[in-house]
Amino acid sequence: MPSRKLSPDSWVDDHADYLFNYAISRVGDEEIAKDLIQETFIAGLGSAENFKGEASERTWLVAILKRKIIDHYRRINSKKGKAEVRRTYKSSEDSGKDWLEEQVADPSSLRENDFMENEELGLALQACIEALPEKQRKVFVMKTIRGLSTEDICKELEINPSNLWVMIHRARTALMSCLNKNWFTS
Amino acid sequence: MISCDEAALICSKSQYHEASFTEKLKLRLHMLFCNTCSTFSKRNRQLSELFGKARLHVLSDTAKQELRQQIQKRR
Repeated sequence: MPSRKLSPDSWVDDHADYLFNYAISRVGDEEIAKDLIQETFIAGLGSAENFKGEASERTWLVAILKRKIIDHYRRINSKKGKAEVRRTYKSSEDSGKDWLEEQVADPSSLRENDFMENEELGLALQACIEALPEKQRKVFVMKTIRGLSTEDICKELEINPSNLWVMIHRARTALMSCLNKNWFTS
Repeated sequence: MISCDEAALICSKSQYHEASFTEKLKLRLHMLFCNTCSTFSKRNRQLSELFGKARLHVLSDTAKQELRQQIQKRR
């Protein structure tokens, strides 16, 4: 059982990347997402006495982040004025879609289902990455997610390329067995 | 003929397109005779695809350091 206590000193190490991905998938911008994480942590510190230990620390932080994301959308909407509402109504005969809602382009041009599935996948991958041994995780993330070159990683971590590949390989093997079989097709 | 351990390692390396031509050749030859490694290779490739699909992000070390300082300052 994890202790239901807040430990802000390890917030960044324990939750920052998770929250970052959560935010990016909703605001679509790294800089904004970064700011939202900062606001979330600050708000979390400010209302730490409200944490009753009923949820996990992460769930609690995600709840705060959700509110920050809503605030963010309110902010940009009020800046834009009533732009969306004023959008001229036109009935386009060729599309046969009369409702404005039906004409609004999906920003990521992904169907809702894809979004949900990709988010679920992202969270599953992240949970498995977090379970990797520290050193493997570090090398794997640098290589796979940050896309750094082998040379740069070796220099920064002071390892040689064959060390690197062994660690990457072990990480990948661990991830394959950690990840639910359903994500793979036989 | 290379061992399964070697083959699997080359397979992981080739997920990043960093296996040499000779390595890839050795891997292919090995997989012709080894079902275990063929299956492993397939899953490994699928893992790459899943990462491509999930498009995960990580905060940079400097961004994390900034966040830590912000938290420290307000405690």
